Formats: sequence, C-alpha cells, structure tokens
Amino acid sequence: MSNSSKPNLWVRYTSKSPVFVTVFSVVLGLVVGALVIIATSPVILHSWSLVFSSWGGIFHALKVTLDNVGAAYRSIFTGSIVDPPQFWHALTTGKDWTVALTPISETLTYTAPLLIASIGVGIAFQAGMFNIGANGQAVMGGIVGTAAGSMLHLPTVVHVPLTLLAGILGGVIAGIIPGLLKAFTGAHEVIITLMLNYVIAFFLIYTLLSTALQQPGQQNDVSRYVDPTAQLSPLFGAHSGLRVNWGIIIAGIVVLFAWWFLERSTLGFDFRVTGASPKTAQASGINAKVVIVLVFLISGGLAGLAGVVQVSSTTHFLDGGFLVGSAGIGFTAITVSLLGRNNPIGIIWGSLLFAALNVGGRVMQASTSIPLDLATIIQSVIVLFVATPVLVKEIFRLRVEHAEAVQLSVKGWS
Amino acid sequence: MSISEIASTTISKVKRPVGRSRAIGTLTLLLGAFTTFIFGLGSNPASKSILTFNPTNLTGVIPPHVGELSVPSKATCLILGILIIAVGIEILVRRPAEGLMVRFGGSAVLFVIGLLIWTVRVPGPAPFGVINMTAVLVGSSPLVMVLVFGALSGVMCERAGVVNIAIEGQFIGGAFFGSMIASTTHNFILAAFMGALIGALLGLLLSFLALRYLSDQIIVGVVIVTMLASLSSYLNVQVLSPYPQYNTGDLAPKLAIPLLAKIPILGPVFFNQNGFFYLMIVLVVVISFALFKTRYGLHVRAVGEHPKAAETVGIDVIKIRYFNVVVGGAIAGIGGVAFVASYGQFQPGCTSGLGYIALAALIFGKWRPSGAVVASIIFGVSVYLANNLQTYNVPVRSAILQTFPYLITIGVVAGLIGRVRAPAADGQPYKRD
Repeated sequence: MSNSSKPNLWVRYTSKSPVFVTVFSVVLGLVVGALVIIATSPVILHSWSLVFSSWGGIFHALKVTLDNVGAAYRSIFTGSIVDPPQFWHALTTGKDWTVALTPISETLTYTAPLLIASIGVGIAFQAGMFNIGANGQAVMGGIVGTAAGSMLHLPTVVHVPLTLLAGILGGVIAGIIPGLLKAFTGAHEVIITLMLNYVIAFFLIYTLLSTALQQPGQQNDVSRYVDPTAQLSPLFGAHSGLRVNWGIIIAGIVVLFAWWFLERSTLGFDFRVTGASPKTAQASGINAKVVIVLVFLISGGLAGLAGVVQVSSTTHFLDGGFLVGSAGIGFTAITVSLLGRNNPIGIIWGSLLFAALNVGGRVMQASTSIPLDLATIIQSVIVLFVATPVLVKEIFRLRVEHAEAVQLSVKGWS
Repeated sequence: MSISEIASTTISKVKRPVGRSRAIGTLTLLLGAFTTFIFGLGSNPASKSILTFNPTNLTGVIPPHVGELSVPSKATCLILGILIIAVGIEILVRRPAEGLMVRFGGSAVLFVIGLLIWTVRVPGPAPFGVINMTAVLVGSSPLVMVLVFGALSGVMCERAGVVNIAIEGQFIGGAFFGSMIASTTHNFILAAFMGALIGALLGLLLSFLALRYLSDQIIVGVVIVTMLASLSSYLNVQVLSPYPQYNTGDLAPKLAIPLLAKIPILGPVFFNQNGFFYLMIVLVVVISFALFKTRYGLHVRAVGEHPKAAETVGIDVIKIRYFNVVVGGAIAGIGGVAFVASYGQFQPGCTSGLGYIALAALIFGKWRPSGAVVASIIFGVSVYLANNLQTYNVPVRSAILQTFPYLITIGVVAGLIGRVRAPAADGQPYKRD
C-alpha cells in the first residue's frame, strides 16, 4: 500500500522543514519568470488575442504559451546540466563526450567562484553580520591577484598558490576596513560595505588605467594577462575542451573548511553565538570586537579568493566590466547564501542552482533570444520568497506560524 | 523601564555630540589649508583665470549678458583659502549648535570655486583658460535634483523606522516606466504619476514584506534593486529595442519663471528648470513642515524612535509605516522620472548607483530634509565635476574624484567626521504584543 509513504510525505509537507519553503520558492521564482516571458513575448500575446476568433483559439494559445515558455526553460536545463539526446549519443557511440559534458562543465566552472564567495557571505551571516561588500572584496581580490599573476614570473607550483594568496590578501584588505570601522566606531557594516563597493569599482578603473596593470599598448581599461603559470588549469587537461578547472576543487576545500570552522572550531562557535545572540556572546566573555574584525577578515578573504579564482580560471585578465552587473558574483553570493540558509551544504545547492540559471540563461539567450536577465529576475524572486517564509507557507497552505519572527540578519542601522 | 528613565536616556541621546562640530571644523580647516597651499601657493603669480557666467545652450529665456571675470589665480585662491580657514576656526572655537551643515556647505562651495579657478589658470595645464560657472551649476542641478528626491524618500521611510535601501530600485522603475509614458503620451505629468505609481508599488512590496511578514528590510531592499535592475534590462531588450517609439528620450520642457529667470546666474539655476525641479523644492518644504511642525510628523517621529511608546498613546504604528514607505517610494519613483526627463533616453544602468548616493546624502544630512538638500548639493556637484573636469586636464583622475561621495559617507557613518544618529527604531521590525 502507498499508505506508508504518503503520510510520511504529508507529515514532512506540514512540518516546519525549511526545505519545502526553499523548493516552493524556486517553483514560485520559475512561475514568475514564466509570467515575465508571457507578458513580453509578441508571439504568445498575439496567440491570446485570437482566443475568441476561432473555436480552437484557446487551445492554440495555450499550446503557443507552453511551447515558448517550455523552449526557454528547456534551453536553460539543456544548456546548464545535460542535453539528453547528446548525452545518449555519446553514451551509445562513445564519441562527442565533450559536447555532452560541456553544459555541466560550464556550470561547475561558474559555480566555483560563486560558491567560494557565498561561503564568505554565509559565514558573516552566521555571525549576524551582513557583508554586502563581497563584490567589492572580490574585485579587490581580482586586482591584487592579477597583479601577482601578471607581474611575477614563477614556476606553476609556486605561482598559482601565490596568486591565490594575493587574491585572498586583496579581499582581506577590502574586508578589514568595514570590520575595523564597525568594531571600533560602531558604524553600520551595510552602509560601509555598500559605499566601499563603489570606491573599489572606481579603484579598479584607476588601476586598469595605470601603467603597472594596464596591458602594454592599450588605451582602454584592460589589464595585463595573468601568466599561464598562474592560471588554474582545466581538470581534464586543455585538450579535453572542458573548461571545468581546479577552481571547483578549491571551492570544495573552502566548503570543507567552512563546515569544520562553523561546526567544530571554537572561533566558529563564537561566531555563531554572536550571530544568535550578541548579549549571550557578551555574557560568555566573547570579545565582540575581535569577532567582528575576524568575521570581516575571513568573509573578505573568501570573497577575494572568489575574485582571483574568477580571473585565474575564466577571464585571465581584468577589464572595466569585471564583476559588473549580472556578472557580479559578490551580489549573487548574498542571494545564494540566503537560499542555502547560510550553511555550507545548503550553499552548495544554492550556488549550483544559481550558476546553472546563469549558464543556462546564456544558452537560452542564444537559442530563444530571451535576455539573460531573466535568470537574474528569477533569482531575485526566489530570494524574495526565501526571505519571507511565512508568505510561502501561506501560499502553499503549509503550517503557518505567525509568531515566527523571520530575522535572517541584522536589524537596522543603529 | 520607568517613564523617567526613558526620558533621561532619551535626553542623553539627544544631547548634542561635541565630536561632530570638532570633526566638521577640522575638515573645514583641511579644505582651507588645501585651497591655500595647493591651489593658492601652487599657482604662478602671473596666472589668470577667467570665469564666465553666461549660460550656454540655453533655450527660451536668456538672462542679460554678464561680463567675464578675470581674476589673478594665486591671490583669489589664497583669499578663498583664508576665508575657509576662518570658518573652520569659527566652528572649532564657537561650536555653533545650529547651521553646521550650512557652514560646511558654504566652505565646500568656496573650495570648489578655488578648485575651478586653479584648474583653468593660464598659463596652466588646461586647454582653455575659461570656466563657465553657470554651466557648472546648471549642469549639476539635475543630479542634485534626483539625489534630493531619493534622499527625501529615505527621510520619509527611515523617520518612520523602515530602512529603504531600495531607492535605487525605485529610481530604475520610475525611470523605465516614466520614460515609456513620456515617450508615448509626451506628457510629463502623466509620466510623473506613472513613476509615483511604480515607486509606490515597490514601497508597498517592501512594507508588505517588512511589516506583515517581518522580513529583513535590508535584504528585501537589496533584492528589489536587483530585481528592478534585471527587469528593466530585460524589458529594454524585449520591448524598448524593437519599439524605439517607447523610448524617444524626450526631455521635459524648461519652465522659465517670468522675471526671476532673467537674474544672472541664479536665474538659469533656480528659475529656468523643468517642472520636476520645482516639484522637488515644494516637496522639501512640505516634508520639512509635515515632519517637524505637524501632529502627523510628531507621530511619524515617535514611531521611528520608540514604536512601543507610540502604540501606547494610541498611534497606529503599522499604518504610519505603511503610509510613509508607500509615499516615500512614490517620491523616489518620481525621482526616477525626473532623471530621464532631464537626461533623455532610458538605458539599463543609467541611474548608475545614484540611489545609493541618495542614501548617503540622507545619512550625511542627519535624516533631515534640509540636511539632505545640502548633502545632495555637495554630492551632486562633486559627481558632476568628477565626470566633467577631465576636459581641463586636471591632474587628478576622475576615478579618484568619483569616490568622494562614498568616502565622505563612510567617514560620516564611522564618526570620523562627526557622528550621526539614525532614528532609534530604524530598520527594526515591529510586532504588536
């Protein structure tokens, strides 16, 4: 009998499990995305305008809608995970594995820096601090990392770690400023990091136009290339044609570190106590100032690592568009971290999903001419719902607890 | 906590912090020293700078021609520098309780004049030794206007205790839909209403999630900005590019005020602007009055400072917060329309973070409409100069100049330049017991 499984699912459905809220938020995000497609697609709108002109009009309109929305979402899926026919072809003939594996390889390539940055933001959230400056810190990591990667000339064994360390250093420099200011002047970290993002964005332009970093012979804001010895090489070799690289291994190590740090280390415990209740932290003798500075040091360092991984694995140089707009992994990291409820395992799933949306969104843009921005729209709707679990529970008739205060992070300016 | 305790802690909080006047005074002294030593002593005694005041490319009312002013660069900069130093000393010695921002703003203006005179000195690095002062003011006025709209929106929301970090999103929404309406109907009043509607809806979304579901206001705000940025970019590709008739880039007509527009310098800056500029001035006056002279304003400030106490005397905290956030959103939405009405076509990313500078202006202006105006002028002019001084071969890169508003805000928030205090309950969710 299905009696044994159905109540189980029902019990879980009606439980307070956050997983359902997250899953339903994703569903709602996709629904809103579909509505956006429908509202802006001339073909779909035209088919609906003909609903009353013939008997089959409504079916035709539904079919056109499903076809178009389906094509968009299908291309996101096949572009980011796997295209079943191609995969089947590779499986049966043993040829064209590169084509079959490219989507997932692209997604993993994109995931690596996003995952690292999100872990950084997540650790800050766990300590009750909102690091909205991850993007600036990542840019700083990219700048310092590119400097080390392009100006030094060393063998790979030394050059890669040194470049990564330089990136971390850049992130730490950018991260420690808000940390120190918050700890010693009480300034709100959201405003400081928000403003620093812009300061660093202009600093990037400044450095790109300075002789030290600018590509020789260039007048534009383009940096020197990082040496091949400072690049993260593809996991399966350059001849494999797959871009997935050592960045994803580094991201894995960062996740392990974050798990160990938050769950097993004393400092991580102090972080979480501070995040759960600053008063308790104070009462138990945790030095709040030290925690604040360290939170931003670690969070900034990870964001910086994300920036340098992006340069060293994917772009290989900096330009004025580095981490700007939809490429701003530091901003996406905030949403990923919220999606993953700030814990490392959740963040893995969150960054995979958002990376897939971005990579697949690009394929969708190419094949259906629906702009990539749809991916960002879907992402922001998802996070809006994740940040408002009670609303999601009401929509899906999950158990509602109005008393539940949903505080994901900090409160106010003062 | 007993009533007297609350009262005494409130009084201790309200007591004027001495640090602010000291820090502002020091900063003023620094500006003065910079003007004296870099601009003044740094220029050749024989150098001359020419200032002109006749507006260029103006349509409609043209004020009478005013002669050029040719000044010796060195002496003028020295005098300006000494003046600023005098103001700085006055602040440090007298510690004035009122008018700090006005003194600082005035010094900043003198500093900018010194900077411009130094920039265009001949013989000097500049390709042409003339600077049009009126053009600088007229050129930066749309930026200042948009910043004031944004900062006023912030004042409305944050005085009631809700952090509106979504100003940038409301700018984008207002700019996009306002430009669409303006392009199709050629009616900027309708466009302003459209912008207000979009801004109000976004304010409603923010307050709905923040007040009913107690979501984190900062997160919701950030997400609203991301959503609007991507939505406008999406719609730009899907709708505006194929149908350019929805994005014609019409500018709002300048409405010259008779007689006043003919005053040299002041006329073009204040009395020959588009309707949004006048609306902004009206809003500043109305909101200042409403917040500080009316019963409603008292209620708003009570809700922002101590919602529990406000509730006990019968003020509907949630209602006031909803109202203020929606109205604040509408104001920011109009700000977005004002942007496209002054600069032309909508483009993705065209507001380029002005919403966050407005947030900074709000904080620098101590959550007051008047302070926000002074801060917006300082930030708006500095952004304009940063974008335009390159043509004069200024030896400072524009990227460095452009960081100025952000750095000064960091300084203010960190208390390096005087401490500011947000409304006590700003950003804190409120739940009835």
